[in-house]
Amino acid sequence: MGSTAWAASCCGGGSSASLVLPKFSKAMLDISMDVEQYDGYWNKSGKVVSDPPGSDLNQYRLNIGYAHRIASRWQASMTLPYVWNDNQYAGEISRTEGFGDASINVWYEAFDAIKCVWKVRNLNDLKPATYIGASLTVPTGVSPYDDVKNSFDVTGRGMYRLDGMLSFDKTIYPWNAAAQLVYGKYLQRPVNREYGDFKEPYDKRLGDRSVVSLSGGYTFFLESMDTVTLTMAYADLREQEGEINGSPNPITGMHKSSISNTVAFSTMDRDWVIKFTWSHALAYKNGGENFPITDVYTVGVSHVFR
Amino acid sequence: MCFVNVLKLACIGMLASLLAGCDGLGDDLQPTGQDQRQAVVAGTIGPEVTQLGPDFTLSDTLAATVTLSSERQASRAVVLYFTMWCSTCDEHMHSMRTTVVKDFPDVSFLLVDYVMGTVPYSRAAQLNAGYGDFRVLVDGEDGVENAYKATMGTTIVIDSLGVVRMNEDYKNGAKLKAVLEAL
Repeated sequence: MGSTAWAASCCGGGSSASLVLPKFSKAMLDISMDVEQYDGYWNKSGKVVSDPPGSDLNQYRLNIGYAHRIASRWQASMTLPYVWNDNQYAGEISRTEGFGDASINVWYEAFDAIKCVWKVRNLNDLKPATYIGASLTVPTGVSPYDDVKNSFDVTGRGMYRLDGMLSFDKTIYPWNAAAQLVYGKYLQRPVNREYGDFKEPYDKRLGDRSVVSLSGGYTFFLESMDTVTLTMAYADLREQEGEINGSPNPITGMHKSSISNTVAFSTMDRDWVIKFTWSHALAYKNGGENFPITDVYTVGVSHVFR
Repeated sequence: MCFVNVLKLACIGMLASLLAGCDGLGDDLQPTGQDQRQAVVAGTIGPEVTQLGPDFTLSDTLAATVTLSSERQASRAVVLYFTMWCSTCDEHMHSMRTTVVKDFPDVSFLLVDYVMGTVPYSRAAQLNAGYGDFRVLVDGEDGVENAYKATMGTTIVIDSLGVVRMNEDYKNGAKLKAVLEAL
Protein backbone atom coordinates (compact mmCIF):
# COMPACT_ATOMS: atom_id res chain seq x y z
CA MET A 1 0.00 0.00 0.00
CA GLY A 2 2.95 2.31 0.13
CA SER A 3 3.52 5.17 -2.26
CA THR A 4 6.87 4.20 -3.59
CA ALA A 5 9.08 6.94 -4.99
CA TRP A 6 9.41 5.68 -8.51
CA ALA A 7 11.19 7.61 -11.24
CA ALA A 8 11.14 9.31 -13.64
CA SER A 9 8.79 11.24 -16.02
CA CYS A 10 8.51 12.01 -19.70
CA CYS A 11 11.68 14.09 -19.65
CA GLY A 12 13.33 12.41 -16.70
CA GLY A 13 14.31 14.02 -13.45
CA GLY A 14 12.06 12.24 -11.03
CA SER A 15 8.68 13.92 -10.77
CA SER A 16 6.58 10.91 -11.73
CA ALA A 17 4.47 8.84 -9.33
CA SER A 18 4.97 5.69 -11.39
CA LEU A 19 7.88 3.72 -12.77
CA VAL A 20 7.96 5.50 -16.11
CA LEU A 21 10.82 5.34 -18.55
CA PRO A 22 11.79 8.74 -19.98
CA LYS A 23 11.09 9.18 -23.68
CA PHE A 24 13.74 7.77 -26.02
CA SER A 25 15.65 5.96 -23.28
CA LYS A 26 16.12 2.21 -23.45
CA ALA A 27 15.83 0.98 -19.90
CA MET A 28 15.79 2.00 -16.29
CA LEU A 29 16.64 0.31 -13.02
CA ASP A 30 15.05 1.67 -9.87
CA ILE A 31 15.77 0.62 -6.31
CA SER A 32 14.08 2.12 -3.29
CA MET A 33 13.57 1.44 0.36
CA ASP A 34 10.31 2.20 2.19
CA VAL A 35 9.90 2.59 5.91
CA GLU A 36 6.20 2.52 6.78
CA GLN A 37 5.19 3.40 10.32
CA TYR A 38 1.69 2.60 11.52
CA ASP A 39 -0.13 4.95 13.85
CA GLY A 40 -3.73 3.96 14.48
CA TYR A 41 -6.48 3.53 11.94
CA TRP A 42 -9.70 4.95 10.56
CA ASN A 43 -12.68 2.91 11.65
CA LYS A 44 -15.81 2.19 9.61
CA SER A 45 -17.23 5.60 10.50
CA GLY A 46 -14.07 7.43 9.44
CA LYS A 47 -13.09 8.14 13.04
CA VAL A 48 -9.40 8.03 13.92
CA VAL A 49 -8.69 5.31 16.52
CA SER A 50 -5.30 5.00 18.16
CA ASP A 51 -3.39 1.75 18.49
CA PRO A 52 -3.16 0.15 21.95
CA PRO A 53 -0.44 1.56 24.24
CA GLY A 54 2.97 0.01 23.66
CA SER A 55 2.34 -0.62 19.96
CA ASP A 56 5.14 -0.09 17.45
CA LEU A 57 4.21 -1.37 14.00
CA ASN A 58 6.64 -1.02 11.12
CA GLN A 59 7.06 -2.45 7.67
CA TYR A 60 10.23 -2.10 5.61
CA ARG A 61 10.20 -2.74 1.87
CA LEU A 62 13.07 -2.99 -0.57
CA ASN A 63 11.56 -2.33 -4.00
CA ILE A 64 13.30 -3.33 -7.18
CA GLY A 65 11.89 -2.00 -10.43
CA TYR A 66 13.06 -2.45 -13.96
CA ALA A 67 11.58 -0.75 -17.03
CA HIS A 68 12.43 -1.56 -20.62
CA ARG A 69 11.49 0.02 -23.91
CA ILE A 70 9.89 -2.56 -26.14
CA ALA A 71 8.92 -0.24 -29.02
CA SER A 72 9.14 3.44 -29.82
CA ARG A 73 5.90 4.17 -27.97
CA TRP A 74 5.72 1.15 -25.68
CA GLN A 75 7.47 0.35 -22.46
CA ALA A 76 7.13 -2.48 -19.98
CA SER A 77 8.22 -2.72 -16.38
CA MET A 78 8.26 -5.07 -13.46
CA THR A 79 8.48 -4.32 -9.76
CA LEU A 80 9.09 -6.66 -6.88
CA PRO A 81 9.25 -5.74 -3.20
CA TYR A 82 10.94 -7.65 -0.42
CA VAL A 83 9.19 -6.99 2.87
CA TRP A 84 10.23 -7.05 6.49
CA ASN A 85 7.50 -6.81 9.14
CA ASP A 86 8.68 -5.62 12.53
CA ASN A 87 5.81 -5.36 14.96
CA GLN A 88 5.27 -4.88 18.63
CA TYR A 89 1.58 -4.82 19.37
CA ALA A 90 0.57 -4.67 23.02
CA GLY A 91 2.23 -7.83 24.34
CA GLU A 92 2.90 -9.46 20.97
CA ILE A 93 6.29 -9.17 19.27
CA SER A 94 6.68 -10.40 15.70
CA ARG A 95 9.40 -10.17 13.04
CA THR A 96 8.83 -11.78 9.66
CA GLU A 97 9.99 -11.25 6.10
CA GLY A 98 9.28 -12.35 2.56
CA PHE A 99 8.53 -11.18 -0.95
CA GLY A 100 5.61 -8.83 -1.43
CA ASP A 101 3.23 -8.80 -4.38
CA ALA A 102 4.92 -8.18 -7.73
CA SER A 103 3.52 -6.09 -10.55
CA ILE A 104 3.98 -6.22 -14.29
CA ASN A 105 3.16 -3.04 -16.17
CA VAL A 106 2.81 -1.94 -19.76
CA TRP A 107 2.61 1.72 -20.84
CA TYR A 108 1.70 3.20 -24.19
CA GLU A 109 3.04 6.71 -24.80
CA ALA A 110 0.39 8.68 -26.67
CA PHE A 111 2.88 11.26 -27.91
CA ASP A 112 5.94 11.40 -30.13
CA ALA A 113 8.08 14.23 -28.84
CA ILE A 114 9.17 15.18 -25.35
CA LYS A 115 6.53 17.40 -23.79
CA CYS A 116 8.76 19.35 -21.45
CA VAL A 117 9.13 22.96 -22.60
CA TRP A 118 10.83 26.09 -21.38
CA LYS A 119 8.35 28.52 -22.80
CA VAL A 120 4.80 28.31 -24.07
CA ARG A 121 4.78 29.63 -27.62
CA ASN A 122 1.58 28.03 -28.87
CA LEU A 123 -1.18 25.70 -27.78
CA ASN A 124 0.86 22.63 -28.67
CA ASP A 125 3.32 23.56 -25.96
CA LEU A 126 0.57 23.04 -23.41
CA LYS A 127 -0.08 19.43 -24.39
CA PRO A 128 0.89 17.00 -21.66
CA ALA A 129 2.67 13.70 -22.04
CA THR A 130 -0.13 11.17 -21.91
CA TYR A 131 0.38 7.55 -20.98
CA ILE A 132 -2.15 4.74 -21.13
CA GLY A 133 -1.19 1.69 -19.15
CA ALA A 134 -2.17 -1.64 -17.71
CA SER A 135 -0.80 -3.38 -14.68
CA LEU A 136 -1.11 -6.90 -13.36
CA THR A 137 -0.51 -7.44 -9.66
CA VAL A 138 0.80 -10.95 -9.08
CA PRO A 139 0.32 -12.42 -5.59
CA THR A 140 3.93 -13.39 -4.93
CA GLY A 141 3.66 -12.18 -1.33
CA VAL A 142 2.61 -14.07 1.77
CA SER A 143 -1.14 -13.74 2.26
CA PRO A 144 -3.65 -14.74 4.96
CA TYR A 145 -4.46 -17.76 2.77
CA ASP A 146 -0.93 -19.15 3.00
CA ASP A 147 0.63 -21.21 5.75
CA VAL A 148 0.99 -18.30 8.18
CA LYS A 149 0.30 -17.97 11.88
CA ASN A 150 -1.27 -14.55 12.05
CA SER A 151 -1.73 -11.21 10.32
CA PHE A 152 1.75 -10.02 11.29
CA ASP A 153 3.23 -12.56 8.85
CA VAL A 154 1.40 -11.15 5.85
CA THR A 155 3.35 -9.39 3.06
CA GLY A 156 0.78 -9.52 0.24
CA ARG A 157 -2.96 -9.69 -0.42
CA GLY A 158 -3.12 -13.04 -2.15
CA MET A 159 -5.15 -11.78 -5.10
CA TYR A 160 -4.43 -11.08 -8.76
CA ARG A 161 -5.48 -7.58 -9.79
CA LEU A 162 -5.71 -5.97 -13.21
CA ASP A 163 -5.42 -2.17 -13.35
CA GLY A 164 -6.10 0.25 -16.15
CA MET A 165 -4.04 3.44 -15.83
CA LEU A 166 -4.08 6.89 -17.34
CA SER A 167 -1.29 9.32 -16.62
CA PHE A 168 -0.68 12.93 -17.62
CA ASP A 169 2.59 14.68 -17.09
CA LYS A 170 3.50 18.25 -18.07
CA THR A 171 6.63 20.25 -17.45
CA ILE A 172 6.98 23.92 -18.25
CA TYR A 173 10.30 24.62 -16.64
CA PRO A 174 10.73 25.14 -13.82
CA TRP A 175 7.20 23.96 -12.98
CA ASN A 176 5.70 20.52 -13.46
CA ALA A 177 2.35 18.90 -12.84
CA ALA A 178 1.04 15.38 -13.13
CA ALA A 179 -2.19 13.48 -12.70
CA GLN A 180 -2.80 9.77 -12.58
CA LEU A 181 -6.03 7.79 -12.62
CA VAL A 182 -6.08 4.08 -11.86
CA TYR A 183 -9.00 1.67 -11.84
CA GLY A 184 -8.40 -1.91 -10.84
CA LYS A 185 -10.38 -5.13 -10.62
CA TYR A 186 -9.38 -8.01 -8.40
CA LEU A 187 -9.89 -11.47 -9.80
CA GLN A 188 -11.99 -13.88 -7.81
CA ARG A 189 -10.12 -16.77 -6.24
CA PRO A 190 -11.00 -19.86 -4.22
CA VAL A 191 -9.90 -19.89 -0.58
CA ASN A 192 -9.51 -23.07 1.45
CA ARG A 193 -7.19 -21.86 4.21
CA GLU A 194 -7.16 -18.96 6.66
CA TYR A 195 -4.07 -18.14 8.69
CA GLY A 196 -2.67 -21.63 8.30
CA ASP A 197 -5.81 -23.65 9.07
CA PHE A 198 -7.76 -25.34 6.31
CA LYS A 199 -11.39 -24.20 6.25
CA GLU A 200 -14.53 -24.91 4.30
CA PRO A 201 -13.66 -23.63 0.78
CA TYR A 202 -15.29 -20.49 -0.56
CA ASP A 203 -14.78 -17.95 -3.34
CA LYS A 204 -13.54 -14.47 -2.52
CA ARG A 205 -13.10 -11.31 -4.52
CA LEU A 206 -11.93 -7.95 -3.22
CA GLY A 207 -13.73 -4.82 -4.38
CA ASP A 208 -12.82 -2.63 -7.32
CA ARG A 209 -10.03 -0.21 -6.56
CA SER A 210 -9.57 3.38 -7.71
CA VAL A 211 -6.70 5.78 -7.20
CA VAL A 212 -6.58 9.44 -8.11
CA SER A 213 -3.34 11.30 -7.59
CA LEU A 214 -2.43 14.88 -8.42
CA SER A 215 0.95 16.46 -8.07
CA GLY A 216 2.79 19.67 -8.70
CA GLY A 217 6.46 20.50 -8.47
CA TYR A 218 9.23 23.00 -9.00
CA THR A 219 12.72 22.36 -10.35
CA PHE A 220 15.80 24.22 -9.21
CA PHE A 221 18.76 24.23 -11.56
CA LEU A 222 22.14 24.09 -9.91
CA GLU A 223 25.26 25.70 -11.38
CA SER A 224 26.34 22.33 -12.71
CA MET A 225 22.92 22.04 -14.40
CA ASP A 226 22.07 19.17 -12.09
CA THR A 227 18.56 19.66 -10.79
CA VAL A 228 16.65 19.43 -7.54
CA THR A 229 12.91 18.97 -7.94
CA LEU A 230 10.42 19.43 -5.14
CA THR A 231 7.06 17.76 -5.65
CA MET A 232 3.91 17.75 -3.57
CA ALA A 233 1.19 15.21 -4.30
CA TYR A 234 -2.26 14.26 -3.08
CA ALA A 235 -3.59 10.74 -3.47
CA ASP A 236 -7.02 9.27 -2.83
CA LEU A 237 -7.32 5.48 -2.72
CA ARG A 238 -10.63 3.67 -2.48
CA GLU A 239 -11.68 0.05 -2.55
CA GLN A 240 -15.32 -0.89 -2.90
CA GLU A 241 -16.93 -3.80 -1.10
CA GLY A 242 -15.89 -7.25 -2.24
CA GLU A 243 -17.76 -10.52 -2.61
CA ILE A 244 -17.92 -13.84 -0.75
CA ASN A 245 -19.43 -16.64 -2.81
CA GLY A 246 -21.00 -14.00 -5.03
CA SER A 247 -22.66 -12.14 -2.15
CA PRO A 248 -21.61 -8.61 -1.13
CA ASN A 249 -18.87 -8.40 1.47
CA PRO A 250 -18.82 -4.86 2.84
CA ILE A 251 -16.06 -5.80 5.28
CA THR A 252 -13.30 -5.24 2.73
CA GLY A 253 -14.24 -1.75 1.51
CA MET A 254 -11.79 0.98 2.48
CA HIS A 255 -10.59 4.52 1.80
CA LYS A 256 -7.31 6.33 2.36
CA SER A 257 -6.19 9.84 1.51
CA SER A 258 -2.63 11.02 1.80
CA ILE A 259 -0.23 13.74 0.82
CA SER A 260 3.39 13.27 -0.09
CA ASN A 261 6.41 15.48 -0.48
CA THR A 262 9.34 14.47 -2.64
CA VAL A 263 12.75 15.93 -3.18
CA ALA A 264 14.63 14.51 -6.16
CA PHE A 265 18.19 15.18 -7.21
CA SER A 266 18.98 14.50 -10.85
CA THR A 267 22.22 14.72 -12.74
CA MET A 268 22.40 17.08 -15.71
CA ASP A 269 21.91 14.26 -18.22
CA ARG A 270 18.98 12.89 -16.14
CA ASP A 271 20.61 9.47 -16.05
CA TRP A 272 20.73 9.28 -12.27
CA VAL A 273 17.94 10.31 -9.92
CA ILE A 274 18.06 10.13 -6.14
CA LYS A 275 14.75 10.66 -4.38
CA PHE A 276 13.36 11.02 -0.91
CA THR A 277 9.62 10.94 -0.30
CA TRP A 278 7.55 11.40 2.81
CA SER A 279 3.97 10.21 2.42
CA HIS A 280 1.60 11.15 5.19
CA ALA A 281 -1.90 9.78 5.66
CA LEU A 282 -4.40 12.52 6.47
CA ALA A 283 -5.23 11.45 10.00
CA TYR A 284 -8.40 13.39 10.53
CA LYS A 285 -12.04 12.28 10.64
CA ASN A 286 -13.20 11.02 7.24
CA GLY A 287 -9.66 11.22 5.84
CA GLY A 288 -10.03 7.48 5.46
CA GLU A 289 -12.16 4.51 6.38
CA ASN A 290 -11.41 1.01 7.56
CA PHE A 291 -7.69 1.38 6.97
CA PRO A 292 -4.47 1.86 8.94
CA ILE A 293 -2.99 5.35 9.21
CA THR A 294 0.66 5.39 8.24
CA ASP A 295 3.65 7.52 7.37
CA VAL A 296 5.89 6.19 4.62
CA TYR A 297 9.48 7.36 4.19
CA THR A 298 11.13 6.33 0.93
CA VAL A 299 14.67 6.68 -0.32
CA GLY A 300 15.32 5.61 -3.87
CA VAL A 301 17.81 5.75 -6.70
CA SER A 302 17.23 5.12 -10.37
CA HIS A 303 19.48 4.88 -13.36
CA VAL A 304 18.42 5.39 -16.94
CA PHE A 305 20.15 3.52 -19.77
CA ARG A 306 20.16 5.54 -22.99
CA MET B 1 23.65 -2.73 -23.78
CA CYS B 2 25.40 -5.77 -22.39
CA PHE B 3 24.58 -4.60 -18.86
CA VAL B 4 20.94 -4.19 -19.84
CA ASN B 5 20.84 -7.76 -21.10
CA VAL B 6 22.35 -9.01 -17.86
CA LEU B 7 19.69 -7.09 -15.94
CA LYS B 8 16.95 -8.57 -18.09
CA LEU B 9 18.25 -12.07 -17.43
CA ALA B 10 18.49 -11.32 -13.71
CA CYS B 11 14.87 -10.14 -13.62
CA ILE B 12 13.65 -13.18 -15.51
CA GLY B 13 15.71 -15.46 -13.27
CA MET B 14 14.36 -13.78 -10.15
CA LEU B 15 10.76 -14.21 -11.26
CA ALA B 16 11.38 -17.79 -12.35
CA SER B 17 12.90 -18.72 -9.01
CA LEU B 18 9.93 -17.14 -7.28
CA LEU B 19 7.45 -19.03 -9.38
CA ALA B 20 9.46 -22.21 -8.86
CA GLY B 21 8.36 -22.35 -5.29
CA CYS B 22 9.39 -20.26 -2.35
CA ASP B 23 7.39 -21.27 0.72
CA GLY B 24 3.67 -21.01 0.06
CA LEU B 25 4.02 -18.99 -3.12
CA GLY B 26 2.19 -21.46 -5.30
CA ASP B 27 -0.82 -21.31 -2.99
CA ASP B 28 -1.69 -17.80 -4.13
CA LEU B 29 -0.39 -18.03 -7.70
CA GLN B 30 -2.52 -21.10 -8.35
CA PRO B 31 -5.14 -21.13 -5.59
CA THR B 32 -7.29 -24.18 -5.10
CA GLY B 33 -10.78 -24.60 -3.73
CA GLN B 34 -10.14 -28.19 -2.72
CA ASP B 35 -11.39 -29.02 0.76
CA GLN B 36 -8.26 -30.05 2.68
CA ARG B 37 -9.68 -30.10 6.18
CA GLN B 38 -8.65 -33.12 8.18
CA ALA B 39 -11.46 -35.36 9.36
CA VAL B 40 -12.17 -35.11 13.07
CA VAL B 41 -14.15 -37.41 15.34
CA ALA B 42 -17.40 -35.71 16.32
CA GLY B 43 -17.88 -35.37 20.04
CA THR B 44 -14.20 -35.37 20.95
CA ILE B 45 -12.67 -32.32 22.59
CA GLY B 46 -11.28 -29.88 20.07
CA PRO B 47 -11.81 -26.62 18.16
CA GLU B 48 -13.09 -28.03 14.88
CA VAL B 49 -16.69 -28.07 13.74
CA THR B 50 -18.61 -31.04 15.31
CA GLN B 51 -16.10 -31.32 18.17
CA LEU B 52 -16.83 -30.29 21.74
CA GLY B 53 -15.27 -26.89 22.40
CA PRO B 54 -12.66 -26.93 25.18
CA ASP B 55 -14.04 -25.40 28.36
CA PHE B 56 -12.30 -22.37 29.84
CA THR B 57 -12.59 -19.73 32.49
CA LEU B 58 -11.47 -16.15 31.88
CA SER B 59 -11.94 -12.77 33.45
CA ASP B 60 -13.90 -10.17 31.55
CA THR B 61 -12.94 -6.50 31.39
CA LEU B 62 -15.22 -5.72 34.34
CA ALA B 63 -13.27 -8.30 36.38
CA ALA B 64 -16.13 -10.81 36.45
CA THR B 65 -15.31 -14.48 35.90
CA VAL B 66 -16.79 -16.13 32.82
CA THR B 67 -16.83 -19.90 32.28
CA LEU B 68 -17.75 -21.20 28.86
CA SER B 69 -19.80 -24.15 30.09
CA SER B 70 -21.94 -21.91 32.31
CA GLU B 71 -22.27 -19.31 29.59
CA ARG B 72 -23.51 -21.73 26.94
CA GLN B 73 -25.99 -23.37 29.27
CA ALA B 74 -27.51 -19.99 29.98
CA SER B 75 -27.98 -19.12 26.33
CA ARG B 76 -28.86 -20.66 22.98
CA ALA B 77 -25.25 -20.44 21.88
CA VAL B 78 -21.99 -18.64 22.55
CA VAL B 79 -20.19 -16.66 19.85
CA LEU B 80 -16.49 -16.00 20.44
CA TYR B 81 -14.83 -13.33 18.32
CA PHE B 82 -11.04 -12.96 18.67
CA THR B 83 -9.99 -9.32 18.53
CA MET B 84 -6.74 -7.40 18.64
CA TRP B 85 -8.49 -4.00 18.29
CA CYS B 86 -7.14 -3.39 14.79
CA SER B 87 -8.92 -1.85 11.79
CA THR B 88 -9.93 -5.25 10.40
CA CYS B 89 -11.25 -6.32 13.80
CA ASP B 90 -13.16 -3.06 14.05
CA GLU B 91 -14.79 -3.71 10.69
CA HIS B 92 -15.78 -7.23 11.76
CA MET B 93 -17.10 -6.14 15.16
CA HIS B 94 -19.00 -3.25 13.62
CA SER B 95 -20.60 -5.64 11.14
CA MET B 96 -21.45 -8.15 13.86
CA ARG B 97 -22.96 -5.46 16.06
CA THR B 98 -25.09 -3.92 13.32
CA THR B 99 -26.17 -6.99 11.35
CA VAL B 100 -26.10 -10.02 13.65
CA VAL B 101 -26.26 -9.29 17.40
CA LYS B 102 -29.64 -7.56 17.36
CA ASP B 103 -31.33 -10.56 15.74
CA PHE B 104 -30.16 -13.05 18.37
CA PRO B 105 -30.92 -11.73 21.85
CA ASP B 106 -30.67 -15.24 23.32
CA VAL B 107 -27.12 -15.77 22.06
CA SER B 108 -24.10 -14.73 24.12
CA PHE B 109 -21.65 -12.68 22.03
CA LEU B 110 -18.21 -12.48 23.62
CA LEU B 111 -15.15 -10.69 22.28
CA VAL B 112 -11.90 -12.41 23.24
CA ASP B 113 -8.95 -10.02 23.59
CA TYR B 114 -5.82 -12.13 23.14
CA VAL B 115 -3.25 -9.33 22.89
CA MET B 116 -3.63 -6.79 25.69
CA GLY B 117 -2.72 -9.18 28.48
CA THR B 118 -4.37 -7.56 31.50
CA VAL B 119 -7.87 -6.47 32.47
CA PRO B 120 -7.08 -2.71 32.77
CA TYR B 121 -5.27 -2.59 29.41
CA SER B 122 -7.99 -4.62 27.74
CA ARG B 123 -10.72 -2.42 29.19
CA ALA B 124 -8.90 0.69 27.96
CA ALA B 125 -8.55 -0.77 24.46
CA GLN B 126 -12.22 -1.80 24.45
CA LEU B 127 -13.40 1.71 25.32
CA ASN B 128 -10.87 3.35 22.99
CA ALA B 129 -12.24 1.29 20.10
CA GLY B 130 -15.83 2.09 21.03
CA TYR B 131 -17.05 -1.37 22.05
CA GLY B 132 -18.09 -0.74 25.63
CA ASP B 133 -21.43 -2.44 24.91
CA PHE B 134 -19.77 -5.84 24.32
CA ARG B 135 -18.56 -8.25 26.96
CA VAL B 136 -14.83 -8.75 26.46
CA LEU B 137 -12.86 -11.70 27.83
CA VAL B 138 -9.16 -11.22 28.59
CA ASP B 139 -7.12 -14.14 27.30
CA GLY B 140 -3.91 -13.03 28.99
CA GLU B 141 -2.02 -16.31 28.60
CA ASP B 142 -3.34 -17.01 25.07
CA GLY B 143 -4.71 -20.30 26.37
CA VAL B 144 -8.08 -19.95 24.69
CA GLU B 145 -6.51 -18.59 21.50
CA ASN B 146 -4.32 -21.70 21.27
CA ALA B 147 -7.02 -24.15 22.34
CA TYR B 148 -9.29 -22.91 19.56
CA LYS B 149 -6.49 -22.39 16.99
CA ALA B 150 -7.74 -18.82 16.73
CA THR B 151 -6.20 -15.58 15.52
CA MET B 152 -7.37 -12.12 14.51
CA GLY B 153 -10.94 -12.31 13.24
CA THR B 154 -11.61 -15.92 14.16
CA THR B 155 -15.29 -16.39 14.90
CA ILE B 156 -16.49 -19.46 16.77
CA VAL B 157 -20.03 -20.61 17.47
CA ILE B 158 -20.56 -23.10 20.29
CA ASP B 159 -24.09 -24.38 20.87
CA SER B 160 -25.72 -24.99 24.24
CA LEU B 161 -24.43 -28.58 24.27
CA GLY B 162 -20.87 -27.45 23.73
CA VAL B 163 -20.61 -28.49 20.09
CA VAL B 164 -18.54 -26.24 17.84
CA ARG B 165 -20.81 -25.18 14.96
CA MET B 166 -18.47 -22.74 13.23
CA ASN B 167 -14.79 -21.84 13.44
CA GLU B 168 -13.50 -19.51 10.72
CA ASP B 169 -12.52 -15.95 9.87
CA TYR B 170 -15.38 -13.44 10.09
CA LYS B 171 -16.61 -12.54 6.63
CA ASN B 172 -19.77 -10.61 5.87
CA GLY B 173 -21.86 -12.02 8.73
CA ALA B 174 -24.05 -14.15 6.45
CA LYS B 175 -22.50 -17.46 7.47
CA LEU B 176 -22.66 -16.54 11.17
CA LYS B 177 -26.33 -15.66 10.88
CA ALA B 178 -27.08 -18.86 8.98
CA VAL B 179 -25.35 -20.98 11.61
CA LEU B 180 -27.18 -19.25 14.46
CA GLU B 181 -30.53 -19.51 12.70
CA ALA B 182 -29.99 -23.22 12.19
CA LEU B 183 -29.61 -23.89 15.92
